[in-house]
Amino acid sequence: MNYINAGDRSGCLSFLSGITNLSLIQCDLSCFLAQQSLPPVNSLSLEFLTDVCIALEKLEMDKSCRGLVVTSSQPKVFSAGLDILDMYGKSPEHCAEFWKAVQEMWLKFYGSNMITIAAVNGSSPAGGCLLSMTCDYRIMADNPRYSIGLNETKLGIVAPFWFKDTMVNTVGHRATEMALQLGLLYSPAEALKIGLVDQLVHEDQVLTTATETMTKWLAIPDHARQLTKSMMRKPTIDKLAANREADVNNFVKFITKDSIQKSLGMYLEMLKRRKA
Amino acid sequence: GHAAARRAPALVAQRSSSSTSQKIKVDFDQSSGVAVMHMQSPPVNSLSLEFLTDVCIALEKLEMDKSCRGLVVTSSQPKVFSAGLDILDMYGKSPEHCAEFWKAVQEMWLKFYGSNMITIAAVNGSSPAGGCLLSMTCDYRIMADNPRYSIGLNETKLGIVAPFWFKDTMVNTVGHRATEMALQLGLLYSPAEALKIGLVDQLVHEDQVLTTATETMTKWLAIPDHARQLTKSMMRKPTIDKLAANREADVNNFVKFITKDSIQKSLGMYLEMLKRRKA
Repeated sequence: MNYINAGDRSGCLSFLSGITNLSLIQCDLSCFLAQQSLPPVNSLSLEFLTDVCIALEKLEMDKSCRGLVVTSSQPKVFSAGLDILDMYGKSPEHCAEFWKAVQEMWLKFYGSNMITIAAVNGSSPAGGCLLSMTCDYRIMADNPRYSIGLNETKLGIVAPFWFKDTMVNTVGHRATEMALQLGLLYSPAEALKIGLVDQLVHEDQVLTTATETMTKWLAIPDHARQLTKSMMRKPTIDKLAANREADVNNFVKFITKDSIQKSLGMYLEMLKRRKA
Repeated sequence: GHAAARRAPALVAQRSSSSTSQKIKVDFDQSSGVAVMHMQSPPVNSLSLEFLTDVCIALEKLEMDKSCRGLVVTSSQPKVFSAGLDILDMYGKSPEHCAEFWKAVQEMWLKFYGSNMITIAAVNGSSPAGGCLLSMTCDYRIMADNPRYSIGLNETKLGIVAPFWFKDTMVNTVGHRATEMALQLGLLYSPAEALKIGLVDQLVHEDQVLTTATETMTKWLAIPDHARQLTKSMMRKPTIDKLAANREADVNNFVKFITKDSIQKSLGMYLEMLKRRKA
């Protein structure tokens, strides 16, 4: 991870070596920008998830850090979601380790005390959509070529209950029921309409708008905001926190099925053909 | 009138009755079965311990009167529906007083949100915090289409936190996501914004708020009452039970929170700010 202090040095973090796929930039005294920069599409691999969680934890423990903007340095993509290569042809042990990391990412982001804003400057399917939904606020680039949504069923897999819970908390029950069953990927305009994202701006303005929005949130007394956020999200978080092991076992059992592995294999083939 | 005499032959024929505690005026039209509660506690219908007690007594009387099927709640104070919980009942008061106050706030919510009557809020002025809560307990909200008015749960702006049952009521009204943002930012919505997110159900000209409320009531009164009551109770019972089963703990949490030095300081600063604004 590259750490760049763009301004006042009084709140600097110690340099984290060896992690190159995430840039942390201090925007001002209390707000950080995390840029996902893992080519080609910021896939949430076991390794990347681990890096992201380490970075988030450091910021969470830093009392001077009150806000976090998450964005992408990869063109056209915010994050393509969970890395299928961590689920395809892997041992049950590897799948379990991978799933624990996915849980950890969600628990840390959804349960963060900081103000979190997703600057969605590219497409964001599946795990990418989940990451954006963990944030307090979502700004997306108004580019009809981008899409966002939980498209698991299209790949023959099923979004776990806590993905579903997060979506229900964002767009409501009925919209989630249809979105999840059809594996819908929404255009930015559609996403705004159903409330999956909160604001659309020109692609060049996504990051600026995120920082401006942050100022508004930072003006609220922090302890009151934190207690309120926690009150809203605790029941949803507890549902997974109290059942992590069972959820991992369910995932491993499911993902290692021959039929599911076959579905994943076919999807990877399809991606290869698309590239060629 | 004739209809009223037929309805209650044993009573002196009385078409309507009016009762006034100093700060609440209730007009009950027995022929239609609709009561109108006018909040008239100057200057801004602050929900003080005293006012909450009066309001609950008035509501209970109507609830127990089988001929009263509907209640419209409105304000006689200009520009304000209700400014919310009276900070003076929370600032510089003993823990015992704060506990008594909070019990009264709980009681108001339990009685209004759990009412069997059809309740309509005729929101003819601004309605922050507790005022917004009161309006959300009703079955239907009509607001004056005046951009100078605002409505919402703005507790965080004062450095305090809306209790879980305020949050639950808002989630039941505008949904989870909207509530998450509204509560964290302590948003006060204009009538147009409030309508857009569903915090209020209808906007009309200021002069039409009460009339529209009475017209709307007619629609609701047409529904077979037992079916409507059971339906309302089915919808709200889980939310009500969450507080009803935990009243004492909720009071203790409130007292512990509100008597903290840091919170008292926040409240004090807010009161100072209000004084400066007046001057």
